[in-house]
Amino acid sequence: MAAWLRSGIRLPLALGIALLVAYPLVFGSAYHLRVLTVAGIYALMVLGYHFIFGHAGALALTQGAFFGLGAYVTGILGSQLAWSFPATFALSIALPVVLAALIALPVLRLESHYFALATLGIAQVLLLIAIKWEGLTGGPNGLSGVPPVVLFGAVLPNGWPMLLLVWGVVAAGAALAWQITRGLTGRAFHLMRDNPLAAQAVGLDIGRLRLAALLLGAGYAGAAGALYVHTLRIISTEVLEFPVMVACLTMAVVGGRTRVAGAILGAVLLVHLPEWLRFLDRYYLIAYGALLLLMIVIAPFGLIGALERWRTRRWPEPAPTPPAPLPLRRPQLRAVDRGTKLLEARGISQRFGGVRALNAIDLTVGHGEIVGLIGPNGSGKTTLVNVVTGVYRPDAGAVVLAGQAITGHAVHAIARAGIARTFQTLNLVDDMTVLDAVAVARRGKTRRGTPRITLARAHGEAIALLGELGIAEHATRRCGGLAQGVKRRVEIARALALEPRLLLLDEPAAGLNPTEQRDLAARLRTLAAGGLSLLVIEHNMAFLMPLATRMVCLDHGQVIAEGSPDTIRRDARVIEAYLGAEARSA
Amino acid sequence: MSLIQLLINTVALGAAYALVALGFVWVLNATAAVNFSHGDLVMAGGFATLALAGWLAPLMPGGVPGLVLLPLVVIAMAGVGLLVSLLAYFPLKDRPPVAVFISTIALGIVLANGATALFGAEPRATPPLLQSGFLELGGVIVGRQALAVIVVAALLIAGQHVLFAHTQLGRKLRATAQDRAMAAALGIPVTLMIALTFALATALAGAAGLLLSHSFFVTPSDGLNYMIKAYIAVTIGGWGSLLGAVAGAFLIASFDVFLPGLPALVPALGALPGADWLFSQTVASIVLYVLLLAILVLRPHGLFGEAVQRRA
Repeated sequence: MAAWLRSGIRLPLALGIALLVAYPLVFGSAYHLRVLTVAGIYALMVLGYHFIFGHAGALALTQGAFFGLGAYVTGILGSQLAWSFPATFALSIALPVVLAALIALPVLRLESHYFALATLGIAQVLLLIAIKWEGLTGGPNGLSGVPPVVLFGAVLPNGWPMLLLVWGVVAAGAALAWQITRGLTGRAFHLMRDNPLAAQAVGLDIGRLRLAALLLGAGYAGAAGALYVHTLRIISTEVLEFPVMVACLTMAVVGGRTRVAGAILGAVLLVHLPEWLRFLDRYYLIAYGALLLLMIVIAPFGLIGALERWRTRRWPEPAPTPPAPLPLRRPQLRAVDRGTKLLEARGISQRFGGVRALNAIDLTVGHGEIVGLIGPNGSGKTTLVNVVTGVYRPDAGAVVLAGQAITGHAVHAIARAGIARTFQTLNLVDDMTVLDAVAVARRGKTRRGTPRITLARAHGEAIALLGELGIAEHATRRCGGLAQGVKRRVEIARALALEPRLLLLDEPAAGLNPTEQRDLAARLRTLAAGGLSLLVIEHNMAFLMPLATRMVCLDHGQVIAEGSPDTIRRDARVIEAYLGAEARSA
Repeated sequence: MSLIQLLINTVALGAAYALVALGFVWVLNATAAVNFSHGDLVMAGGFATLALAGWLAPLMPGGVPGLVLLPLVVIAMAGVGLLVSLLAYFPLKDRPPVAVFISTIALGIVLANGATALFGAEPRATPPLLQSGFLELGGVIVGRQALAVIVVAALLIAGQHVLFAHTQLGRKLRATAQDRAMAAALGIPVTLMIALTFALATALAGAAGLLLSHSFFVTPSDGLNYMIKAYIAVTIGGWGSLLGAVAGAFLIASFDVFLPGLPALVPALGALPGADWLFSQTVASIVLYVLLLAILVLRPHGLFGEAVQRRA
């Protein structure tokens, strides 16, 4: 128990919870209870905002609008039609979720600055409608006579009953948020917000993750809005105005945008800030803005994040024991399949403006083959990999994997279909551990009808893969602090975690010393012997020549030579492409 | 109100919005980040005009014309722009652009509430550029302020064009906006150029505040409205495009002026049931936002494509 409490920031968190419980017991005035109730309502909204803003990393400016919509649903149905609490509460959650689903289709695919503007525009439209549609909303004057919460026949007035209800909902919401984000899904969000391309390449459907985050957030905000009008007992357009959104954003930033405790801390602090800054009189809102500015500059991970980092720096904890390895069972390649076609790309052409990057390329990779792809810089090697993996949709041609056409499929779908890749420029997230970086690729591997792969199991499988690549001892370190050669192998381990049939490696030997290169080549050969097919882009011929079973040379977007490493070595056109015409005549 | 009057009002408003949008785009291009306090800087320009007019009032008992205040406001706001870059941009320049988005939201809160504390929340009007009132030109009655706004805004837009297109400083600023790393490699002091960009953009915003706050008044909460207008203008006009921003500004101004002005132009419309409701500023804004969303859905990179090239 004591050891459990000492790990991480559990001790200060336990202290914080104790303080939060003690606070209303000590300052029990109606006024204090009300302020704390409002803090709980904001905490609920911020908990929801964490999904889209914190975890998915999208600056959505609709959370205030979802809150306002939830508030209006309860306000109008409660005060005008005298609907019961269970009905209005359920609708207050459902309607914002429906609105979120409606706007998701056009809005979610927009890039950051358009996304922020579009969401801001939607929020403004809702506000203007509330102002203008006086018959329904009471316009700027609003509606009064919102009933209190009535639950199982008992009226819950403001004060202790409402306080307990609100914080009960906060506790449930916090538990749900923690449950959703603590496992592989939380890691998937982390990879997706810091490196969307890498996330897709390990089979994560980032569009779906973003959608889930937006809908969840809308539900939380709707619930918070409903509780807000039950507390205020009146409703006006104020609930839809921009300051609500700004308050929510500020709380998320100040507390820490991916931590449950951060949402609660941010809300409690900022709701009480006007009280504590009362001596500043009318200048307190200036202090509010200044605080937000200060926090974003000095503590980008919020107070909870700063606390976690301070703890790790001041009292570093011993590295956790890595889990026991759980080796993946790879199906062995049948002897009859060896050498038959796995990947077939036919007539691939790709243009970028006036540049013809690929021109009617044919490429095949057989089962268990190691194909070396070479060519001068700019010859189209990486473009070809990007076409095969779905990053680019080719202007012409077809890509077929084991008889199935995959041309133009989404990147994550192709990754799940069995093509894994590494990147020429490393695509790891610096503050993720090696274990998490590899484990996250297991998320998409749950088979239909079986329970989702747990974090613990994914960690076990990850450590087994790290062992296969000889880097198990780095498992608990963060990716940012690793040597180049180790990073390359972490990326390969991550790609292998997809259990691919074909592995595309873009310059895997870059940054490796000769010993590491020999070691890597031996490990790749073992994988190929087990039935994995490899396509390796490399400039380092000393590494590639002995490794490859067949080689393809590109120049100016065309295949200029193909054959065994020995043939390629002597091919006049390859020599010319690399060294220029003079070299041949010399 | 005649068509010509509406047109002149539209051009005046569009020219002022263009100043706002241009400043927004310059910062956007130089930093790749959205300055969300830009609208609040327009508002601050309005209040700076009021404050300066108050200070100069003893010297000019007949009222200080806006034209006299303009250079002072521009200089003061340029200073504010340097401050904005120091507080909200430079500490975050190596972080994702969203950090600057949030830091400038924070700065906007400080500006808006600072203005409330100093000037109160009531709408205030800045002095006219020369004189208020109307003027008869060839049988058409036009507002003096609207004409003056058009002339001043046109001069300022032309001035910034000359600066950017024909001076060495302008070339350095443009190089910084196009490719920061390359500009730095060529020995251009990039940090200084970015700071200057903030100063220039904020000076333009301040000038727009002076021009707009006579006819439309200024309140501390105006920032968001101007911010959204500039943001929309730039999105419609093509992210990063100067010409597009100006075009977008005029498009938005015509929404603001024409839809509420329609009943005056076509009296039959005013007689329709619910005309007051329909031909209002609020409905014009709703239509504008919905139009913006439609454009984003159909053309996710703006009406005229993006001028900012992304690197793969």
